[in-house]
Amino acid sequence: MDFNLQEDSPEMTEFRKEVRAWMEENMKGSEHLRWSASWSTREDEEEYGFRRGLGEKLGKKGWLFPMFPVEYGGAGLTVDHQFVLETELARYGLNLTHIFYTLARIVAPVALHWGTEEQKREFLPPIARGEIVVWQVLTEPQSGSDVANCQTRAIRDGDDYIVTGQKVMVGHHLPPDVLWTLVCTDPDGKRHENLSWLHIPANLPGITIQHMHLMMGIKNAVFFDGVRVPAKYLIGGENNGWKVAHTHLELEHGGDGRVGTDPVVDRVVDYCRNHEVGGKPLIEDPHVRDIIADMILEINTVNRMNRRIFWHRFVKEPHAYGGAQFRYYQRMVRLRNGERLQKIMGADALIPDHGVHEVLDFEYVIRSGPGQLHGGGTLDTDRLIFARRAGIGRQTREKAPDTV
Amino acid sequence: MDLRLNEDQEMFKKVAADFVQAEAPSTMLTQQFLKKETFLPDLYAKIAGLGWLGMLVPEQYGGAGLSYLDCGVVFEELGRAPVPGPVFSSGVLAAQIVLDGGSEAQKQELLPAICGGDAVVIPAIGDHGAHWGPETVATTCSQSGGTLTLQGTKRHVYDAEGATAFLCAVRGGDGAVSVVLVDRNAPGVTVTPHNGFMVSVSEVSFDGVQVPAANLIGAAGAGWELLDKAAERAIPILCAYKVGACQEIYEFTVRYTNERRAFGQLIGRFQRVQDHCVELSIHMDRARMATYETLWELGEGMPAEAGIHESKAAASEGYHQACSYSHMVHAGPGTDYLHPLMVHSVLAHTLYQYLGTPDYHKRRMVDALYPNT
Repeated sequence: MDFNLQEDSPEMTEFRKEVRAWMEENMKGSEHLRWSASWSTREDEEEYGFRRGLGEKLGKKGWLFPMFPVEYGGAGLTVDHQFVLETELARYGLNLTHIFYTLARIVAPVALHWGTEEQKREFLPPIARGEIVVWQVLTEPQSGSDVANCQTRAIRDGDDYIVTGQKVMVGHHLPPDVLWTLVCTDPDGKRHENLSWLHIPANLPGITIQHMHLMMGIKNAVFFDGVRVPAKYLIGGENNGWKVAHTHLELEHGGDGRVGTDPVVDRVVDYCRNHEVGGKPLIEDPHVRDIIADMILEINTVNRMNRRIFWHRFVKEPHAYGGAQFRYYQRMVRLRNGERLQKIMGADALIPDHGVHEVLDFEYVIRSGPGQLHGGGTLDTDRLIFARRAGIGRQTREKAPDTV
Repeated sequence: MDLRLNEDQEMFKKVAADFVQAEAPSTMLTQQFLKKETFLPDLYAKIAGLGWLGMLVPEQYGGAGLSYLDCGVVFEELGRAPVPGPVFSSGVLAAQIVLDGGSEAQKQELLPAICGGDAVVIPAIGDHGAHWGPETVATTCSQSGGTLTLQGTKRHVYDAEGATAFLCAVRGGDGAVSVVLVDRNAPGVTVTPHNGFMVSVSEVSFDGVQVPAANLIGAAGAGWELLDKAAERAIPILCAYKVGACQEIYEFTVRYTNERRAFGQLIGRFQRVQDHCVELSIHMDRARMATYETLWELGEGMPAEAGIHESKAAASEGYHQACSYSHMVHAGPGTDYLHPLMVHSVLAHTLYQYLGTPDYHKRRMVDALYPNT
């Protein structure tokens, strides 16, 4: 076993030097724009612009999807390179494909897996180069966790599909370039055999996007009113959309993993060192230290689960129940941490604007706590998937799909 | 990063797993636990024969000189049974204390005997048992000429039953803590096994016990630091044992969800039952991941203090919780002392506070990460 995230072969040591120097140069003056849980839901143009810019620069080098073939916009590198890149970005609290919220981390591997050669050549390079924003738009007013209950209709008409329907609670505050979505192509067909997966350019006539103001921040409703989508944008074949969704959802449901760590504990400790009660810094209060202890144990577990999933994914032995377990646990930890922050900081934890970037997230952790429990599927779907993968109440264990 | 075991470790794991199946099946352990006879000399001799009583001890002292990870892999398999007896307390903890504090002569004399299983040396540290820390040492020690006289009672000593000698923590006239080697058969030593919802725990009293001053292990007055440092290196091995126990519990619990029917279907079909298994898996994996990372850190000579205390908190809590969730799934049948879960349940409660409670170790972890100035 080897838990070292920084020690490499001579070749990787050279690569790490190159990446580190590149990051230092490109992060200059932007070091304050570190990892933040809330950034995608805030309307902070500076931060958003920085992330997009960094993403594009990484994309130009093929480093945004380093393992993708060069012809699809990647760099054709190895898992070791990917690991070096991830760990170097983690030094800044960043990680590769979360840099800007495009959902590309999910969309791109799905396109690689299910797309035709022509589709891969068209869709993947702009994603891999960080040039476009892709939203996944799955949730509908009547189908949340039950994604397969999709009502948005797509009717074949010549070389097009005509799409009509509504998706909700998707995306973020800046507009998308492309929408990835599930549509119903056979209303009389059997469940799971009646759906198709479409790549829809967001500028097609008939698409309306409206902000929704939710607990977690800005999301959107997307209306499709007789939108003509070229049939060549069908991914994975007609009525095969559920299988495509399966790959997609595995990645969304914790199957992607990451090596970076959640810095919330360090930020809490910083706060406790800099705030006094009765002339003593909070960090010296035994009760506060006990709360911090519980946070550390849980956050360390979240981080280790995430790294374990990452490792299993890239050695191509996907961890069967790891994703579902991680996703359930991580969201419960976030909810508990929200309350812990209030125990330590009181009402300070509820104020987003301290003028100190590092503590901005506390308010978001608390506010989004209950809301993030169901994003992408409820806690109950996570536990259901866990049961299938772990073989609880069933002899055959469902395998995790290959997601690289 | 690589989460795989190496070839040697895969082999250790297999040998240990086969041993457990052949020599410590649950049918035998449930009987032994019911009788509260957990020191099994024959089993212990076989374990010694396999070299598992001194895995961390250098070869020059009769050990195997293996790595922390190697040792952890074997202890994980032993924990699955769970194999009882002082494999950890003598073979790892006492050996580490002697290795750190013993004179060359003491090491030459004691360590080969510990590794060979002829000596069962049991640390008898806190008088109050439940906690860990110098303040728990109350047994007194007075020196007259070349003789030390011990007076006091260690309320909860784990694995005292089979002891041939104790490493007794004592408080001198100056209030400082020292460690003294005491023969089990020295006049004034009494071992009284506890009855209760635990196993392998005895009260050990030292009533005017006289030992030569040469029996001091380590410098006089430097005993607590010696014990604490040795325990820190030993604790992750104990954690691996608990991780193995959690793994076994997880597996037989999942299996049960596929066998037991209620309300016309397998109980594993009920989402409430599935939820118990999810929680069990989290406790198991939390303990596993912290423990193995810490064993690796120790092996690499990296700072491991925070990880050691984190592992202990996670593994003690994890073992305890794994049993609780398994009880929720098993209901009535799991409460029968002849059910394998009961062996674990009793042991998880026994080990919960051994070498310090989870809360104590959480505090130590925070102190290691963020020293309180």
